[in-house]
Amino acid sequence: DGEGGPPVPAAPGRAQVFATVVDTFLEKLVAAGSYQRFANCYRCFYKLQPEMTRSIYDQFISQLQTSIKEEIQEVKDEGNLEVLFNSLDKIVEEAKNQEEPAWRPSGIPEEDVRSAMVPYLLKHRLYLRKILKEKEEENRKVAQSVLAGRDRIAELQQLIQARKHAWQ
Amino acid sequence: MSVNPMAYEAQFFGFTPQTCMLRVYIAFQDYLFEMMLVVESVILKKLDGFPDCKISAFQIRKSTEKFLLFMKERFDKLFSKMEEVLLQLVLNIPKNVLLPEDKVHEQYPYSREQFQALQDEIHQLQQQYRAEASAGQALRAELEEQKAVQAELEKILQWFDGLENICREHGTGNFKESFAFLTQNSKKLQDVLKDVEEKSKKIKKHDQLL
Repeated sequence: DGEGGPPVPAAPGRAQVFATVVDTFLEKLVAAGSYQRFANCYRCFYKLQPEMTRSIYDQFISQLQTSIKEEIQEVKDEGNLEVLFNSLDKIVEEAKNQEEPAWRPSGIPEEDVRSAMVPYLLKHRLYLRKILKEKEEENRKVAQSVLAGRDRIAELQQLIQARKHAWQ
Repeated sequence: MSVNPMAYEAQFFGFTPQTCMLRVYIAFQDYLFEMMLVVESVILKKLDGFPDCKISAFQIRKSTEKFLLFMKERFDKLFSKMEEVLLQLVLNIPKNVLLPEDKVHEQYPYSREQFQALQDEIHQLQQQYRAEASAGQALRAELEEQKAVQAELEKILQWFDGLENICREHGTGNFKESFAFLTQNSKKLQDVLKDVEEKSKKIKKHDQLL
């Protein structure tokens, strides 16, 4: 059997995109704040102390990157974003065959709560139907006994009448 | 142009994406400013080590402002692009996606009328059940009464049968017939007595008239 070529790489997940986008931002920012530009702005100092200028610049850029990366990590940790991103990727993947726009909260709680209550009401209805049926069946049987009992009483009364007449 | 509140995303993430982006922007910007101030103060300090140089603090401040202005401009542009991508691709829920916690709305999209009909049906079933339950109680009550009545009637029947047994035991033949004969005779006797009474009344009357 033939395999249809190399497997298509899955589209990058949200976590991946997030990391890439942040890295790109940082890269471009650092590129913008180049040493040339820095030295150019602090020209007089650069002329005086080129090595020091370089060292100060390196520290500045390094510290800026570190701070930005730390902040991003903090946001990820606080919001539990890794987990949420993966979870959302899965949910989106499962819905990929849905073309219609999905339900969204209407903003009116009374409207939205209906659907949430329906499963409970359906269960309740099922239960009521069941016990009603059982009760009806039970009553049918008791009704039969009652009718039989009435016949028996009539029969007894007849027997007694017969005895009575025999003694007259 | 209306602003998308991204409420559904907020439901999932626990925060509004725009708020998150704003927080990050402010943090980044603060770091940038902070770093620049540090740079400036370091340079100024170093300059103190060169007392005869002609560079003033004012010049350094100007340099810092120049660099910062440029950085801020670039920073804003780059951040804006990043924010756009994140809001569109990462911190968003596509329109066709329903969160699992909202499944009931897909499964049971009941309109107000349908919901009301369901509630009415349930109410009706409850009433029917109550009616059946009380009917059942009534039936069982009658059953109990019947038992008592049957017991009494059977007692009477037994008494009659007991009477027959006694007669049979004492061999009085057909006691029933003799008893019936007796009852009839005593009736005849009563009739005869009545006759005699009337006749004697008549005689007495005749005597009085005579």
